[in-house]
Amino acid sequence: MSAVSSSSWLYGAIQRRRNRGLGGLYLIVAAFLILYAVLFPGILSVGGFSKFTQNWFPLALVTMAQALLMLNGGITLAIGPLVSLGAVIAATTMDGVFGVPGGIVAVALTGLAIGAVIGAIVAHLRLPAIIVTLAGSFIITGVALILLPRPGGFIPGWLSNTLAGHTPVAFLLLVVVLVAWKAFLATPLGLGIYAAGDNPVGAFRSGVPVERAKVVAFALSGLLAALAGLFVAAQTGSGDPVIGTPFTLNSIAAAVLGGVGFLGGKGTMRGAICGSLLLSVMINVMFFLGFPPVAQYIAQGLIIVGAVAVPELLKAWRAKR
Amino acid sequence: MSAVKSIFRNPPLLTFVLVALVWLIAGLTLRGFGAYGHLRYLLELAAVIGIAAAGQTLVILMGGIDLSVGAIITVTAILLPLISPAWDPTGLVGIALALAIATGIGFLNGAGAAYLRVPPIIMTLAMATFLQGLLVVVAGGSAVTVSNPAVILLGQGRPLGVPSGVLLWIVVSAVVLALIHRMPIGARFLAIGANPLAARLSGVSLTRNTLILYALSGFFAGLAGILVLGMNRQGYVGIGDPYLLTSIAAVVLGGTSILGGRGTYAGTIPGAILLVTTTALITVVNASPGWRSIMFGTLILALLLVSGREARR
Repeated sequence: MSAVSSSSWLYGAIQRRRNRGLGGLYLIVAAFLILYAVLFPGILSVGGFSKFTQNWFPLALVTMAQALLMLNGGITLAIGPLVSLGAVIAATTMDGVFGVPGGIVAVALTGLAIGAVIGAIVAHLRLPAIIVTLAGSFIITGVALILLPRPGGFIPGWLSNTLAGHTPVAFLLLVVVLVAWKAFLATPLGLGIYAAGDNPVGAFRSGVPVERAKVVAFALSGLLAALAGLFVAAQTGSGDPVIGTPFTLNSIAAAVLGGVGFLGGKGTMRGAICGSLLLSVMINVMFFLGFPPVAQYIAQGLIIVGAVAVPELLKAWRAKR
Repeated sequence: MSAVKSIFRNPPLLTFVLVALVWLIAGLTLRGFGAYGHLRYLLELAAVIGIAAAGQTLVILMGGIDLSVGAIITVTAILLPLISPAWDPTGLVGIALALAIATGIGFLNGAGAAYLRVPPIIMTLAMATFLQGLLVVVAGGSAVTVSNPAVILLGQGRPLGVPSGVLLWIVVSAVVLALIHRMPIGARFLAIGANPLAARLSGVSLTRNTLILYALSGFFAGLAGILVLGMNRQGYVGIGDPYLLTSIAAVVLGGTSILGGRGTYAGTIPGAILLVTTTALITVVNASPGWRSIMFGTLILALLLVSGREARR
């Protein structure tokens, strides 16, 4: 009995530590959403909400892809190229014999396979993830350029209308992805991804297949990034071999805004999702207020540093008192 | 046999042997590769990467990383023609100002990492984003032509037949190697990279050394930016972008651990030459941009397998 209560006490303490700072993040996100709704009441209509979530959806997916790896103690610089490759494959396979389902399967399998290969290299050959994904990003970009040297390809009109039309399908898909993530976390392997990131040696001694967890994390990350590419292709109605480039930096920025740390195990997926929402709202607000793209870069740089520095300074200030 | 084994244990030497092999094979099979002019050109290109990677090596040795190298190179290359005063016939004042700005940017990176406790990867990434925006405001997105005589001399001059960029690289190499291996401050950098807590408890100031290191990285990136500007005679937005990835790749190919604490600039030197040679060979094959990109990525991965592996846990 006492063992049970002490383990639940430990669980509560760990959960509190993981959720620290999330309350403030929720408040900031809520404040920005209210500001947004006051400035542009259009978001409260079904069409406006749909458009807003469609802009957010690919960023949310790539942020999940990045946060998944950062929680596991890794990082990937291949997000952007994977998004581009997903878009290119979607745009080149959907007019084939297998049609749209064939295209979706092709995109998903490509993402999974590339992720798994990168993961296997990182986990089993023990090369640093940052360099492997850097080299991988050149290879993936090359493949995308060979498949589709210039923007083009074919996406059926009905698919674009379904995913990026006037209905909140993208938001529903995001809910489905999040529920699937929660379900995956309930499996031993899903929990193992967190555990291996927090303390690889401890996780290994507790029976977590650390290397397999890493390969699975990279494979899922590849899948999410490639699916984000599929959505971007549906949004723009064509494939573009370099369309994903900004997503690499934005995925890291959103995860960091959401409180995910670089050393693994620190942070939560809901924080990362909130971070991506915050970044998406900020980009939209600056766009609608008529900021030039240049000012967006400057503001983004300042916001990222501020988001990381303020909690650290608060912690140091509290410790001093 | 033991000689072969000792080569594999010594990453800088291994990278040197790789470069020698690649040059030998390419020189025997490709017409024009082994010509003195071509090899000199390769070294000239490697000098830019090597100088940018000097700061990167120091930062990585301390366990950090600098993702703003490319942005600092661009900033220096664009600002230098704009801030070189007309009354100064030598152009040295402009160079000094540009280097001061580059060092200042690096110092800000260090201040963010040391005082605000922002992880270096985020701090330098955010700095790169920030500079990218600032540059478009300052330069308006158009290319600027350099007329500064000292910069042109640096980029185009060839005292005794050796490009002055290569001479500059030799000086930088000597200084950095002495800094790491012959001076107390180098020992402090390595100590912080190996174990920050132990270093701090032994009386090494993390704040001070972080500030010095990122300022040095900014300085070397600025130096590389001036060299690139002299070689191209023009500065434009994006001129420094290729040097971010190549500077990190050169460090890792030279056998320096990305986790810090282990490695030497002596490995980065052949690493930079190896990278330039690979790129040159890929250009010779005359493939489409897609295939070129694939070959570059695959070669970096293959080279990593030989020289960049982390020790088994």
